[in-house]
Amino acid sequence: MSCNHFDHPTSRREFLQRAGCGFGAVALAALTREPALGATFPLSSAAAKLPHRAAQAKNVIFLFMEGGPSHLDTFDYKPLLNQLAGQPLPASFKPPITAMGETKSPLLECKRTWKQRGQSGLWVSDWFERVAEHADDLAVIRSCASDGINHAGGVCQMNTGSVFGGRPSLGAWVSYGLGTENGNLPGFVVIKDSEGTVVNGVRNWGAGFMPAVYQGVEFNSDGVPIKYLDNPKGVTAERQRDKLDLLSSLNREYGRTRADNTELEARIRGYELAYRMQSEAPEAVDLSKESAATKQLYGMDHEETAVFGRNCLLARRLVENGVRFVQLYSGAGSKWDAHKGIEANHGKLCRAVDHPIAGLLSDLKSRGLLDETLVIWGGEFGRTPMSEQGDGRDHNPTGFTMWMAGGGVRGGQTIGSTDELGLYAVEDKMHVHDLHATILHLLGVDHTKLIYPHKGRPERIDLNEGHANVKMTA
Amino acid sequence: MKRSLILSLLVSTAVAAEPDAMKFFENEVRPLLAKRCFDCHGEKKQKGGLRVDHIGYLKTGGDTGPAIVPGEPEKSPLIEAVRYKNEDFQMPPKEKLSDAEIAVLEKWVKLGAPWPESGSKVVVTEGGFTEEQRKWWAFQPLAKVAPPQVASAWVRGDIDRFVAKMHTELKLDPAPEADAHELVRRAYFDMHGLPPTPAEIEAFVNDKSPQAYEKLIDSLLASPRYGERWAQHWLDLVRYAESDGYNQDAYRASVWPYRDWVIKSLNDDKPYDQFVREQLAGDEIAPNDPNVLIATSYLRNPLYEYNQRDVAGQWDIIVTDMTDTSGELFLGLSFGCARCHNHKFDPILQKDYFRLRAFFEPVLWRDDLKLGTAEEKARFAEQQSAWEAATASIRAEMDAITAPIMAGKAKSAIKKFNDDLQAMINKPTAERAPLEKQLVVICDRQIRLEQEKADVMKSLKAEDAKKRYAELEAELKKFDSLKPKPLMEAFVATDVGPKAPATKLKTRKGDQEIAPGFLTLLEPKEPEIKPLGDSTGRRSALANWVTRPDNQLSTRVIVNRVWQYHFGRGLVATASDFGKLGEPPTHPELLDWMARRFVAEGWSLKKLHKEIMLSAAYRQTARRQASEIAAKIDPTNRYLWRFNPRRLDAEQVRDAMLAASGELDLKAGGPSEDGNSARRSIYTMKKRNNQTEILRALDAPAGFSSTAERQSTTTPTQALLLVNGDWPLQRARKLASRAESIDDVWTYALGRPPTVGERATAEAFLKKRAGTTAPRPTNGELLAGSGDFKENTPQERLLVQAPEKEGEEFTVEAIVRLESIDVNAAVRTIASRWNGGKDSVEAFGWSLGVTGEKSRFKPRNLIVQLVGEDENANIAYEAVPSNLRLELGRRYHVAARVSLAEHSVSFLVQDLSEPGAPVQTAVAPTVVRSKLGGGASSLVIGGLSKRSPAHQWDGRIEAARIASGKLPDEALSTEPEKWKAGFVNWTSSVGPSQQFAWSGVDAKAVEDAEPFRQAMNDLCQVLLNANEFFYLH
Repeated sequence: MSCNHFDHPTSRREFLQRAGCGFGAVALAALTREPALGATFPLSSAAAKLPHRAAQAKNVIFLFMEGGPSHLDTFDYKPLLNQLAGQPLPASFKPPITAMGETKSPLLECKRTWKQRGQSGLWVSDWFERVAEHADDLAVIRSCASDGINHAGGVCQMNTGSVFGGRPSLGAWVSYGLGTENGNLPGFVVIKDSEGTVVNGVRNWGAGFMPAVYQGVEFNSDGVPIKYLDNPKGVTAERQRDKLDLLSSLNREYGRTRADNTELEARIRGYELAYRMQSEAPEAVDLSKESAATKQLYGMDHEETAVFGRNCLLARRLVENGVRFVQLYSGAGSKWDAHKGIEANHGKLCRAVDHPIAGLLSDLKSRGLLDETLVIWGGEFGRTPMSEQGDGRDHNPTGFTMWMAGGGVRGGQTIGSTDELGLYAVEDKMHVHDLHATILHLLGVDHTKLIYPHKGRPERIDLNEGHANVKMTA
Repeated sequence: MKRSLILSLLVSTAVAAEPDAMKFFENEVRPLLAKRCFDCHGEKKQKGGLRVDHIGYLKTGGDTGPAIVPGEPEKSPLIEAVRYKNEDFQMPPKEKLSDAEIAVLEKWVKLGAPWPESGSKVVVTEGGFTEEQRKWWAFQPLAKVAPPQVASAWVRGDIDRFVAKMHTELKLDPAPEADAHELVRRAYFDMHGLPPTPAEIEAFVNDKSPQAYEKLIDSLLASPRYGERWAQHWLDLVRYAESDGYNQDAYRASVWPYRDWVIKSLNDDKPYDQFVREQLAGDEIAPNDPNVLIATSYLRNPLYEYNQRDVAGQWDIIVTDMTDTSGELFLGLSFGCARCHNHKFDPILQKDYFRLRAFFEPVLWRDDLKLGTAEEKARFAEQQSAWEAATASIRAEMDAITAPIMAGKAKSAIKKFNDDLQAMINKPTAERAPLEKQLVVICDRQIRLEQEKADVMKSLKAEDAKKRYAELEAELKKFDSLKPKPLMEAFVATDVGPKAPATKLKTRKGDQEIAPGFLTLLEPKEPEIKPLGDSTGRRSALANWVTRPDNQLSTRVIVNRVWQYHFGRGLVATASDFGKLGEPPTHPELLDWMARRFVAEGWSLKKLHKEIMLSAAYRQTARRQASEIAAKIDPTNRYLWRFNPRRLDAEQVRDAMLAASGELDLKAGGPSEDGNSARRSIYTMKKRNNQTEILRALDAPAGFSSTAERQSTTTPTQALLLVNGDWPLQRARKLASRAESIDDVWTYALGRPPTVGERATAEAFLKKRAGTTAPRPTNGELLAGSGDFKENTPQERLLVQAPEKEGEEFTVEAIVRLESIDVNAAVRTIASRWNGGKDSVEAFGWSLGVTGEKSRFKPRNLIVQLVGEDENANIAYEAVPSNLRLELGRRYHVAARVSLAEHSVSFLVQDLSEPGAPVQTAVAPTVVRSKLGGGASSLVIGGLSKRSPAHQWDGRIEAARIASGKLPDEALSTEPEKWKAGFVNWTSSVGPSQQFAWSGVDAKAVEDAEPFRQAMNDLCQVLLNANEFFYLH
């Protein structure tokens, strides 16, 4: 491990309070349209110090299959698994610790049909037939690893780098590093596919020890997109405007003799931006202007794919509108967690996302957005080759698959591998820290330079342990 | 510090600098090192903590000790590594050096590792510390300083002499004293976290005596509100929370006595050294005193995951967390940085990290202790044994029945652990090693949980066993009157025993066992520690060192924290980091003077507060623009040329809103209540994964790690919550309802009357708003019958003004006819107290209705929906179907009786269109355990509290009533005129009244009917959002 790669940081306070700019300056900066990167005022979220490496990816759409999708039945083909099905894990394998403790249960066969797809001949199972049509755009990472045996630790680490809470989410780091392109919308948006609560709740998209401006904002896919976006019941637009005007006039009077307190001005602006967000956010999520063909492309015309299709289409619209980081949850509330009956569980969920994800990739491509949008697919971990409760699989954080597409990623390649049964990552292992480092790399940011000074430590997304995998673009 | 132990050793003198050797070094050795080693072991990187670009570093070595022994290649790890003989220790890792290169290094070491003296920039002393590190300000003993003599009339006390001296040096001048209004507001928020009441302001402003201010400080310090405010700071630092923090986030129902202990300790002005000692080692100091033992709850604050099978891994994380937090909390050093390697900037060795950890290594989380005095425990034991004696035979028989079930549960729980843990669990207790004991305690929790989940009645197969068990349960219940009130669970920790588990520093060359010790730089010797009873005595030793009067770290740290909370910025701005990445003190002498004085005054925080608050520095106004020179050399006011303007923190804002609305409940102590209550914020539940919304939005920490300084952020989503959110809106309404005039609004919200300009602005606002909307009658044009409910008519829903709340056990009864159900899954609602939300505290509530076409409970199912908290105090939404179905167009008598205490809802349905139709009943279980009445919604008949056509009743509701408690069958009736109990009793023949108002497309809500009331609400909301409300400036 190495903790050496960083510029000696000035303190947080220093950069927050430089030359009479109070904390409000940061808030203000992050709230305005000006992108933090190359901003003219002395803010800088690390941005001013970051190397401006030209990168293709500007935005991220992270498709989070919550609960842990099986790599063994989707993107990591293991013929040996079916040969040894019914037998215990061979003694040559180091005994794993699993969440449910059924480490001695027999290996479970994979019932999928596998084919090599595209020019690149990438192996993809029939659960992702539509995504497979984009095989040559996918870089499939088969050697992912995490420290979280349980959902709480796994989801937390995939989002923040640490198995326990308190650190900023990846989306917050990206917003902090790259700033926002549209101040009337949050830079980091999260959309779930149901009312289920993502494991650990809202802190998954929290800003941790960073200012709250960087935290993710949850959008509802239907109805009012943001909590409290609508005026209170019975309050007309006129009444709301009058209220805000009165507030603004009192605040301006108060600020007149306190001009040096930039936080006061930031609060005034905060209310104005909130007001503008009230009109802009609903527009951004208004799908009425989308053609029937587009909706079909995302599978919105079929009941099974309608929800995730809608969310994928929203993600595209948000990215178009300058949202930097969009995270879509499939199976919010650990629904991919197939401890038993994996056939039925995964079959249904895969059908719900396959078509929409394929549609998203097609749509981004045809609009020329795929080059600048990094699409990431995966969950907090994969699943064990051993069976659980007969026909399910337990959590497997020691080896699982994620894929990336777009944003300059070289498609049609696989990176790393697991052992012959898909239990442990063995070659080119990519720990979550490495994944995070790689994602920042694809966004043109050297993850060792993206520092947030906190309590005497120069904090990084990867807890100083990650390495960017440059093969992604090579 | 024992200087004599530290031999300053100039490394370069150890080398004979012979010309030939130097030539060999420069030509052969240095280029080789530079080419093959510097990349990873040079100025930029020091893998394994090692640098090889100077002989000093090589000799001091890295994480595993010295890299070379001059003259002895065979004993030099550097040589061992390059030879590639040891499989685990090969350098450079990617490609072995050539034999010739290895020979060069061997020769060089054999020669005594000559290194030229010139260019030697670094002086390393024994122990691996540089002189620069040793001289770092924070490690110097507290200086004995006298307050400087300054000729300034501004100076009021000794603190000011130090401040004035810096002013003079920097050519800054202090700000004038704040006026009485500014001062009183500042002092109250600072000391109590609350605004002064109008009467308190008046009393102070009108007190012209010279002692008025001092009297104010004394009274503030004497009030119990002081402890409630300052405890918040401490709770931030110890990352206090009331839940486990992982996914389950289980509620820690017995942690609150620690919060009350902190509050009481502060109110009692418990000396800080004692305050610290009790938290670190209360179990060793006074194991039988519940008021001391509870302090060790400090050791229970780490997160915990109830089903983590990697038990050893989790325990390691817990001990790591205790170590890291204690290092920064008490000593102001980022110890955590030294866990994997020597600290990169501060003289904290990796070994020191583990020396600190070793104090916490034997900690055991106890679930078996109770809080109580000896007398209370004795009384409890006496009553308990009476109950036990009386019930012995019953319980014995029950145990015999449950024993195989419990054994089975335990067995299946144990099977889930890996073989190592199973072996530990199966060992006799006496044979378990200390670490094994610690881990088994955690395993036991998991096993117990499985057993607690067991449903005996379901597990029993034989009918007669079931019957017998039920009888026994009933029999046992009869003795409940003998049962003593349970003692409070003690959420505390002790040691595992007098022998500690080993603390291991893992290195490439194996584990190294580390004994407890302090910072090597300050105290190289290992302290002598003797077991105390059944405890190792380690934490007492740590506590004694931390609270030594001459401990330069802990004393400066606490004094600086107090200063920071008063001024908004510490003399050391980085209050938990006194190391090199932190900031040096702005007034080092003042810091030392205060630390010494603090100790001399008996570690009294209250005396320190008073000294600070009486200073002229504290009394300066914040309302001062930077002078030209201040703007240039000190724009951030490090040298106090004015008071720092500050935003109120989250708890201050919430409490101030409640104070302004007149609702603030000042009840002290006890179990926490949810954030919707009117209790002070410190008494609201702190769930790590589910913070009270307004507190979270205003930067209250969630309790995952120690917080030394709050953020103060401004976001549009925060503004949306404050302007559109239910909770702030409710406060504004309450404020409006108590304010009789514009002057009142200002006085309650801001503690002052409006200026002439402000009054005119407010009057103009009220006039405009109240004038534009003409008053309307509350009832629009009604449908034919006032029992008919229909979308898009004035009669959509009936809003109910209820005199009381139905609580958590209640009955809803109605006579209804349904004309349609929703085409999707929405529920047509008969009655509710619910806004339809599922995942916020505002949504707490319930509804009774009938399911739609696509419902997963199938259409036309009479259903109750509940939103409250489950047994872990997590927000839970639950649909409780009766599976009794209503046909369209028929008249029904329906009832639902909800009882959270009994975990059930019982339903009744009778078709009244068909004479003699049977009464159908059903009972369904619930998981929601509490908080049904905690939401923001009011009662509604025929819909939800917010308009939602799909959820509205379509058809008739002839009569409906809501009564507290579960009404017995005989109290229910198909004839509403016979309904007796019930605080809501609606009959369509009577129609709307003061209590019942229609809401529909043409009828406005009650509020709308009164433009003036509405405008006042808005005005109040504006004031509660004003910068003046949020800021002390």
